[in-house]
Amino acid sequence: MVELPPQKASVSGKAIVAEHLCKIFNVTKGMLRRNKTEIVAVKDVSFDVDYGELFGLVGPNGAGKTTTIKMLTTMLIPTSGKATVLGFDNEKDVTRIRERIGIVLGGERGLYTRVSAIDNLRYFADLYGVPPSVRDKRVKELLEFMGLWDRARDRVETYSKGMKQRLHLARGLINDPELIFLDEPTIGLDPEIAIETRKMIKELVEKGKTILLTTHYMFEADELCNRVAVIRNGEIVALDTPSGLKKYVMETSVVEVEGFGITEKEVARFRELAGVLSVSADLGENKQVLKIQTPKGSEIISEVQEILRNSRIYDIKIKEPTLEDAYLKLVTD
Amino acid sequence: MPKTLRVIFSAFRMAMLHWMADPQWIIPNIIAPFVFTTVALTLFKDSTGPFGLYAVLGGGMMGMWGNTLYSSGYAIEFEKWQGTLEEVLVAPSKLLHVITGRAVSNALFGLTNMVAILLIAAFGFRVPLGIADPFLFAVSLILTLLSVSALGLIFASAFVLSRSAQALTNGLETPLYIVSGSMFPIALLPFWVHPAAYVLGPTWGVDAIRLATSSEYASQSFWTGMNVNVAIFLDLTVMLLITLAYAAMAAVLFKVVEKRARIKGTLVEA
Repeated sequence: MVELPPQKASVSGKAIVAEHLCKIFNVTKGMLRRNKTEIVAVKDVSFDVDYGELFGLVGPNGAGKTTTIKMLTTMLIPTSGKATVLGFDNEKDVTRIRERIGIVLGGERGLYTRVSAIDNLRYFADLYGVPPSVRDKRVKELLEFMGLWDRARDRVETYSKGMKQRLHLARGLINDPELIFLDEPTIGLDPEIAIETRKMIKELVEKGKTILLTTHYMFEADELCNRVAVIRNGEIVALDTPSGLKKYVMETSVVEVEGFGITEKEVARFRELAGVLSVSADLGENKQVLKIQTPKGSEIISEVQEILRNSRIYDIKIKEPTLEDAYLKLVTD
Repeated sequence: MPKTLRVIFSAFRMAMLHWMADPQWIIPNIIAPFVFTTVALTLFKDSTGPFGLYAVLGGGMMGMWGNTLYSSGYAIEFEKWQGTLEEVLVAPSKLLHVITGRAVSNALFGLTNMVAILLIAAFGFRVPLGIADPFLFAVSLILTLLSVSALGLIFASAFVLSRSAQALTNGLETPLYIVSGSMFPIALLPFWVHPAAYVLGPTWGVDAIRLATSSEYASQSFWTGMNVNVAIFLDLTVMLLITLAYAAMAAVLFKVVEKRARIKGTLVEA
């Protein structure tokens, strides 16, 4: 694996400092009558990330995670607020920041699928100014690290989803960045590949990289992150270690119901029950799972049975709260 | 190789790899020129004078011009389709250099268009195409392609700002064929069109190409009465100066529109 360059000693001593970041997009509609509307993507986001830290940014779709990342990576200029990345101002020192960061956006796009993995990486190495003497060696090392060397000369369009994701990671590391932004790196991956990807992320932190990770999977944030910020409607509503966040729901327990034939109407009835803090429902075709967060614990079981009297109940468990439960409480409060 | 040249070369290479990977290029570069040439030669078949030359070179220029301009202007859209635009944007290289590499590659590929037309005319229609000075013809052709590419960069900067820039490229393609004198001499156009023709680099390139091809054209050139080699040199010098102005304009435009795009978020999915 490539050698880690000496860490830059920033003025603040932090890898990232975001202060009251705000991003408003102006959208214009109509040909003759131009209707202007403002979309507030990020309202007020402040946080900092230490060197060598794996920092998580979690929140529902449209909460402002990706816009925050795009401001920090210089792709967007904040409407107001200020950010420094590796000690550099993200509005003025654009090139210096870009030279030192890596970004991996989730999904299958973002690669030239008609050409090989080697051609993709060589191209980005040139765009990042990697010296020719280092370039080919680094491309080989990264493809070996990601387990793609055997297929390195094949067109990327013939790769599986997991292989493409590993190639994304390799591309994000092509300039040997000090700081890596990973935007939902395991989205859409099958469990085996997702586990492998998380293992690679851990290895990167062990090698001294700083990582800012966004994810929808709370267990992933719990497993990987030193600290997690929960973002909702463009604002950070909580920032703590995973165990610190769990304290938000310490006084509560989670009643998990497995069943069949549960309807949306019944889920809505649970939400209206006194003492219920949040309800999440996965109403799949074969198996349905309800998670009810409540301080009432086992006392709620009789009410559950009453509401679901027309459905089939396979199992009811009382569980300790997880980071996901804390997250649900924070984003639904 | 300096960093900037390496970025341009790398973007050029990537574009070439994509051309080779996608056989669709046969349509604009072989089939369309064949149609152009057939129509033009049929129209001019009973005429006297250097009409065959106009038909063949005009058709070739149109095909090459359209191909290069369209592809260069479309370079940003290509990255959007691939989903690679954000990855390219966040790299420390200037977007202008990446697009320049693509534009030069498109220009080079545009050459296949002209070559296809020359071959079709010579072997398919038996048009006598004795090129008076093959070296100056090649030099003029390549420099004209670079000039078209530089114009393409200006169009590309419009794509940074707005998706509707496609309408601009499509709408200007035909007027540019006419104003640059690709199909018939500029002298035939109304006098008020002339200033527009003179600020187009390829107008001078077309003049140089025709001078290098046939001595019959000398009487219609911008430099009538002058030695052909000197006239070609003057044509190419004027074109080079205009092309440099295009490049400088593109550099400024890219800087301005890139900043605006970072404020408005037109290039990224938030």
